[in-house]
Amino acid sequence: MSDLDRAIAQLRACRLIPESQVRELCYKARELLIEEGNVVCVDAPVTICGDIHGQFHDLMELFRVGGDVPDTNYLFMGDFVDRGFYSLESFLLLLCLKVRYPDRITLIRGNHESRQITTVYGFYDECIRKYGSANVWRYCCEVFDYLALGALVLGASSGLEPTGPALETTSSTMSLDDSELETEVLNSRGEVTMSSYRPKQPRTDSPLLPSLSQDKSATSSTTQTPASSSMPPLRSGWAGTGATGDSSGSYATGTGAVLCVHGGLSPLIDSVDKIRLIDRKQEVPHEGAMCDLLWSDPDEIDGWGLSPRGAGFLFGGDIVKHFNYKNDLSLIARAHQLVMEGYKEMFDGGIVTVWSAPNYCYRCGNVASILELGEDASNGGTVARSNGDYGRSTGGAAGAAAVTRSPGRRYRVFEAAAQDTRGMPAKKPVADYFL
Amino acid sequence: MSASQIPNLNTLRRGGARLRGHGRGGGELGSDAPSRRGGSSTKDRVVQGTDNDASVSRLSAVNLGYLDDPFAPALTPPGQETRRLPIINRGTYVRTTTIDHLLTQFLHPSTTPNQPVTTPTTPTKATIPTLPQPKPKQIISLGAGSDTRIFRLLAQTQTQTQTQTQPHPEQTIIYHELDFPSNTASKIRAIRAAPHLQRALGDPQTVTISPAADALHTPHYHLHPIDLRQLAALASSPPLRKGDLGNEGADLQLDTLLPGLDPTLPTVLISECCLIYLEPEEARRVVEFFVGVFDASAGGGKAGAGAGAGAGAGAGAGSGAGADGPPLTPPLGIILYEPIRPDDAFGRTMVANLATRGIQLQTLHQYASLAAQRARLRAHGFVDGQAAADVDFLWERWVAEGEKERVAGLEMLDEMEEWRLLARHYCVAWGWREGGGRQQHVFEGWRGLEGQQDED
Repeated sequence: MSDLDRAIAQLRACRLIPESQVRELCYKARELLIEEGNVVCVDAPVTICGDIHGQFHDLMELFRVGGDVPDTNYLFMGDFVDRGFYSLESFLLLLCLKVRYPDRITLIRGNHESRQITTVYGFYDECIRKYGSANVWRYCCEVFDYLALGALVLGASSGLEPTGPALETTSSTMSLDDSELETEVLNSRGEVTMSSYRPKQPRTDSPLLPSLSQDKSATSSTTQTPASSSMPPLRSGWAGTGATGDSSGSYATGTGAVLCVHGGLSPLIDSVDKIRLIDRKQEVPHEGAMCDLLWSDPDEIDGWGLSPRGAGFLFGGDIVKHFNYKNDLSLIARAHQLVMEGYKEMFDGGIVTVWSAPNYCYRCGNVASILELGEDASNGGTVARSNGDYGRSTGGAAGAAAVTRSPGRRYRVFEAAAQDTRGMPAKKPVADYFL
Repeated sequence: MSASQIPNLNTLRRGGARLRGHGRGGGELGSDAPSRRGGSSTKDRVVQGTDNDASVSRLSAVNLGYLDDPFAPALTPPGQETRRLPIINRGTYVRTTTIDHLLTQFLHPSTTPNQPVTTPTTPTKATIPTLPQPKPKQIISLGAGSDTRIFRLLAQTQTQTQTQTQPHPEQTIIYHELDFPSNTASKIRAIRAAPHLQRALGDPQTVTISPAADALHTPHYHLHPIDLRQLAALASSPPLRKGDLGNEGADLQLDTLLPGLDPTLPTVLISECCLIYLEPEEARRVVEFFVGVFDASAGGGKAGAGAGAGAGAGAGAGSGAGADGPPLTPPLGIILYEPIRPDDAFGRTMVANLATRGIQLQTLHQYASLAAQRARLRAHGFVDGQAAADVDFLWERWVAEGEKERVAGLEMLDEMEEWRLLARHYCVAWGWREGGGRQQHVFEGWRGLEGQQDED
């Protein structure tokens, strides 16, 4: 057993590793993270997780519900630390797993992965309390600076293989024969509590191209109409990579990419490529594109609005629709906001908030969720590189958006781990109230 | 380790020793025979300890600039100073400034009526001015604990006296604090240890402290060591009713119980997270006791005024208004600050979490909504107005934009949903009756304050 595996075992038991080992771990993690772009590309299948906030025992519950690393491919959307009582154990475990299985776990930065915020919201104090000095806090903050700002999930399937025993099935009345399982919600015991279907036919509900009629079948040729007729070559590589290639084989049944980011969009960012241009290796600034990506929230407004948080912006459904269309995205997955039900889709499913800290701060009484995106098996398991921005510059190719289908989404909802059972620290966390 | 090897901790829940069994522990409370010296059961000590929590929160908010309160450090137990989370600080700010504002409108109705909380350029000074009228006004704070409000009030009036713009505070305000003897004793210790607290009390010659060092009296500040359940018992036991004892007897009785309390003055009762710890019936009787004390028809010894302190609701205002000679039933108002909405996920978690600390919010389910709080005030006879609003509403609607900006700038809130969730589970409720002297319009200032309507 390597030192790293020993450290993982120790952290899984909620026991800290020595300071010297933390320093080494953080050094290795930085070497790894520095090679990652601002936007990491991740292949489906992947399980997307929201805020953890030092709720170590709930992170263990998450792994129990979602499968362990490396069996399950994970993407954590930041806010590993602060608020909960085990920020160190939680973050160091995730970091160990990252170093041990770099291709099976992706960590991106949340607004709490910041020197300033951690001094207010608990991580700094926790480091002092548990290690007796600010050294470990400093090592961790250096790692924070290297965390990616976003991730792009590629090759997600538009439909789901049904799983689990259904408790009750709601929503669609369509039979499985001519429909496709689009959303499924499972409880922590793996029982289906909700599912929704959509027709096999690609929908043509894009407001941008109402004229694309249903008689276009879901085949490659029809989906590329204007662009393919107006060669030169299609650019259909990963967004922003500038790669070109013929994606026709998978495009029809595949989905657009899924952008994962902690907070949301920025008025300074109109394409995924712009995110790639940010110099991210720094403390989270108080304003600007990098700040916005980590702080913004979707809201039921038109356009942009001021955020009551004091950082980032509010952005409306029109902004999301436009951004998704322009970048050939089918979904934006983000975290950052407490959702009592664990997840919340907005703007016709164009964006989803995933929240993974159950009973947040041991006080809020909410459930948590993780989002599983399946692999598109329709193309022999190869990744559908469908998120190119071809044709965008010509202003044509609007038709492509119309058949960009949202991925099949499986939410696993789970509750907080019990606080007072075996293996738990004797001291119960005390949540603040007004008394 | 594969996922299947990770134990499902939730399956172990059933076996765990849950705290349910501890239940109400009503017997412990000694509900049948509450002692004057506050039977110090474990549960009582827990309730007394909640004051610690409040004072630590207050100091945190003061240290960070939310509130301006030079008395907070001296009245916080030493060694407990800690920085609270921003949402707690904001909540403390809203709670404090809201009650300050209600008191300002009571003491000095002519100051900017119907206006939201004013926007100071510096940290919020509790703007409680003295009133120009010579007739004193009275404030009774139930379970006041280490509250600093009286010192802020006195310091302010002293400053104004020095500048010769206001009459001396003795003419304007009489402030009573009631709490367990252990709490009043530690407050007196704090006062003895802090010269600036003593200075705020005024001339040392006028300050008397009981031999047990748990009661303090000055011409305008009275610290009463008393278990509120004793008052509840009085409200319900006929032989001690004022009406039955006659005027002289009643005054005697009242003077022994709560020396310095003047049943003829316009008065406001405050319960900041206090009555909620009592059993619902006791909580009701405590308010009923005071409604009775300030009922001239009962206190005046009117023959057959069966509606004594015990009969409560509505009797005071109704009969007082009809009286054509003095004494008139004085105006009486009440301010409650307490948790609400126990039945959603946050509320259930709150109840469970507090239970693990041995804290039970005993009236929470009875007054679970703003509507229930208003109905409660009406039933108690505060017939001229009842209003309530949760802390989220108060922050949004009562705090002026500039002030909101200042406060929001002190600390970044990382989670708005959490703030709204928390803030929606606390409310301020206020109600009043003008009493026999309705032409006074003592509570005119409250009439224009915005309550919250849509809810639940």
